[in-house]
Amino acid sequence: MTFRQARWDEPLLWEIRPPAETPAPPAAIPGIPEKLRRQTGVRWPELSEPEVVRHYTRLSQMNFGIDTSIYPLGSCTMKYNPKVSEVLARRPGAAFVHPYQPESTVQGSLEIIYRLEKALTRVTGLPEVSLQPAAGAHGEYAALLMIRAYFEERGELSRRTEVLLPDTAHGTNPASAAMAGFTAREIPSKDGCVDLAELKAAVSDKTAAFMLTNPNTAGLFESEILGIAETVHGAGGLLYYDGANLNAILGVTNPGKMGFDVAHLNLHKTFATPHGGGGPGAGVLAAGATLAPYLPVPRVVRKGRAYSLDYDRPKSIGKIKSAYGNFGLDLRAYVFLISHGEEGLRAISQRAVLNANYLGHRLGDLLPRPFRPLVKHEFVLSGTPLKARGLRTLDLAKRLLDEGVHAPTIYFPSLVDESLMFEVPETESKRELDELAAAFRRAIGDTEENLHAAPCSTSVARIDEVLAAKQLLLSWKDLRSPPATAPAPPTRSGP
Amino acid sequence: MNLPRWIPSEDGEEAALLRELGIASTEELFADVPRKARMGRLGVGAGLDERGVVETIDGILEKNRPYTQFASFLGGRFPTRYVPAAVDAILSRSEFYTSYTPYQPEASQGILQSLFEFQSLWVELTGMDAANASLYDGATAAGEALLLSRRIHPGERFLIPASLPWEEKSVLANYGGPHGVRLEEIPFDHRTGCLDLGAFRTAVLKGDVFGALVDLPNGFGGLDEGLPELKGILGEVPLTVVADPLALTVLEAPGSWGADIVVGEGQGFGATPSFGGPLLGLFACRRAHLRLSPGRIVGATQDRDGRRAFTLTLQTREQHIRRSRATSNICTNQSLLALAFLTYASTVGPRGLAQLAAQLHARAEELATALRAVPGLKVPRFDAPHLADVPVEVAHGTATEFLERLRGRKVLGGVPLADPRPAKSGDASKWFLASATEWTDARSIAKYAAAAETSAGATS
Repeated sequence: MTFRQARWDEPLLWEIRPPAETPAPPAAIPGIPEKLRRQTGVRWPELSEPEVVRHYTRLSQMNFGIDTSIYPLGSCTMKYNPKVSEVLARRPGAAFVHPYQPESTVQGSLEIIYRLEKALTRVTGLPEVSLQPAAGAHGEYAALLMIRAYFEERGELSRRTEVLLPDTAHGTNPASAAMAGFTAREIPSKDGCVDLAELKAAVSDKTAAFMLTNPNTAGLFESEILGIAETVHGAGGLLYYDGANLNAILGVTNPGKMGFDVAHLNLHKTFATPHGGGGPGAGVLAAGATLAPYLPVPRVVRKGRAYSLDYDRPKSIGKIKSAYGNFGLDLRAYVFLISHGEEGLRAISQRAVLNANYLGHRLGDLLPRPFRPLVKHEFVLSGTPLKARGLRTLDLAKRLLDEGVHAPTIYFPSLVDESLMFEVPETESKRELDELAAAFRRAIGDTEENLHAAPCSTSVARIDEVLAAKQLLLSWKDLRSPPATAPAPPTRSGP
Repeated sequence: MNLPRWIPSEDGEEAALLRELGIASTEELFADVPRKARMGRLGVGAGLDERGVVETIDGILEKNRPYTQFASFLGGRFPTRYVPAAVDAILSRSEFYTSYTPYQPEASQGILQSLFEFQSLWVELTGMDAANASLYDGATAAGEALLLSRRIHPGERFLIPASLPWEEKSVLANYGGPHGVRLEEIPFDHRTGCLDLGAFRTAVLKGDVFGALVDLPNGFGGLDEGLPELKGILGEVPLTVVADPLALTVLEAPGSWGADIVVGEGQGFGATPSFGGPLLGLFACRRAHLRLSPGRIVGATQDRDGRRAFTLTLQTREQHIRRSRATSNICTNQSLLALAFLTYASTVGPRGLAQLAAQLHARAEELATALRAVPGLKVPRFDAPHLADVPVEVAHGTATEFLERLRGRKVLGGVPLADPRPAKSGDASKWFLASATEWTDARSIAKYAAAAETSAGATS
């Protein structure tokens, strides 16, 4: 163990140079009505630029990123974010372009969107793509609105109230279904995959859609996908592809070939746009012929050599956010795509799947693997045996942090007891995988006492999450004067 | 085959991995993909090396004409502002931008404390009790506010100003539609552009209203003096205010005049427009409604040694735990943009922000004065006080045609207000918002006025 994370006693911005209790109001602006004018200034500290830069530089040193360590978070596809993309997204021709400039001045942006959309129709095997959704869950939501509009037009909406999904589905799937006004109904899995018999029993003329990710969240390819598609379509329902796990199948198969009607892709996963500490993402939508007329407006179209924004789509659901999507990320994704090309995209999935199977093989003798060993881009272990030692998966995850590597996703998928879910994308070398395996071996072999005490090399020790939820101190204001219901805030007692 | 160097390709590495697995080729790892589902070639062309990629992208971007090449008056909900270099220096720290949602708080205190500070700042600006760690953009934040209002109060009708930007109306329709919500547009006074308070009162009295939303500035750039009266009319019905963060540095916090939810678009603080994305959704609400509210929330707590620490909290509201009963489907949000917002506000500082607001207002006044003299333009079209945005009406043709003619004279004159979908535009086809920016000066205003003189009367 040689890892130590920075451990600054970094105050909040407000604590560096506290503002006045009631700051003077800003100078009156002539013409601004007195009734609306601020009576006291904003309580916000006045700091010099070096103070600000030091503050955030120190905070950054207390953060794991892909650039500091392997980040095997399952279902998140934490792959290396190419630096050239960062340079290009900051070009004046990309950054200093307003969404509502005249079309004649944004031909380059429109061309990037058009080219990326066309390339993604190839990747997905679905004929039309929209880049508008801001994130994967937002793409799910938009697609379900399109499905609503489709059934509404057919006069079937009052009947088709159910969205089916496997019990392994990402939490966003049932949440999106509910937001879109459907009843989410979970189908039990068998050996980690959709139980076709259960699905057959569940579909009916109430079924609006079946949402599925393939490979699924257990890392398994749903080999009965064609039967699944036939079953859903046979009941008059539509098949939705959650593209969170697309990194496993590039160039091997695609949602179109598998029979899906609509899909979302996460550009921040498969196409390596930075995850940004939790966003921004980009949740591209791809639609087959049935649903394409319902895609959000505008659509980017080409006439001759000119690109334009087409708002004349009478069946469109309209807008699901302002402007045209997260263009800065679309550009980065396009950079990633043309850097790889045909052979490179295929190589991504070949290597990502090879990495996952290799690591699964290396770790499989340390904890049980609840499903078949052949996986795609990720695999699941069960931490159940830890219980006999008075330990939980959480302890193992925290102990891994002390090795200087990020923990895998834990407690998901929930059908596996004490689950750990590893994804090691194509950008990880054998040396990194071997080091992760060795770290895991050291962690699980450590004493119960040390596992309970972990982490001890991160910027803070084990965090009390229950206390956070109990006291609900959610801002500097709360720390200064805790809300009535909360106990006194913690005091600083760092070294 | 030349692969990007992002995939490790040391000689023999792949062979070693295969050997360990006891298989001959990676093809065996795909034996579970049925033959009938297999695809042929992708047909996306061969990969390019980094130099080739840069040339290709630069070649395409050359076809753009950034607003920096014009006298630009673009703004409205998406301001064009100077971003201090320090902001990008901080955002470029790859410990921040290559990390993800802080599921392991002990290893992610940097982003967690930053998001806590971001929440704190939005709380201070709005006068609300609590903020979340960001949503996608201002429009979807308004959509989430609609859904939260529905959880707070029964009813089917949601009141919005007829002057609300068309995109936001469309997004609200998409968030409310599946739940049987009826959006009801409250008309505006034709002279001021402000909300018709009589019509608002009548709409509330009709009953069945579960929420109302207003914006500051409004869709015409106006500061509506009537807004502080709305809560008195609404009573228990929750009021959502869409507020511009820069305006809030000089205007009274909506929390002090009755707002129950305050949302907004935060792109203007530290993010370049980048053709409309990524953006930043701001969201704050009252403590009583916190458990019904959407999005990630960071809270303060302590570690085992009693040190202050930060973590995601109230996660039992969220999709990964509550699934179909979650308060929202939000997973990935806009954390890096929240960091941009925070570092912009820190770098510019409270005095600098208030000065910027005052400066933009002064320049908008000069701009309005200059354009008022142009025949064929009505400036301002609505005469409510404004901050940086001036509503303009063209007498001839449409605003879009006028703005295109200005473009030919190296002026980007503003943002059209009409819904561009066929048969949806109405009166608004003649209206646009001209916005003062930090680059607006006597020279650019004179240039605008001269270009407008020759463009406003033309009919072609």
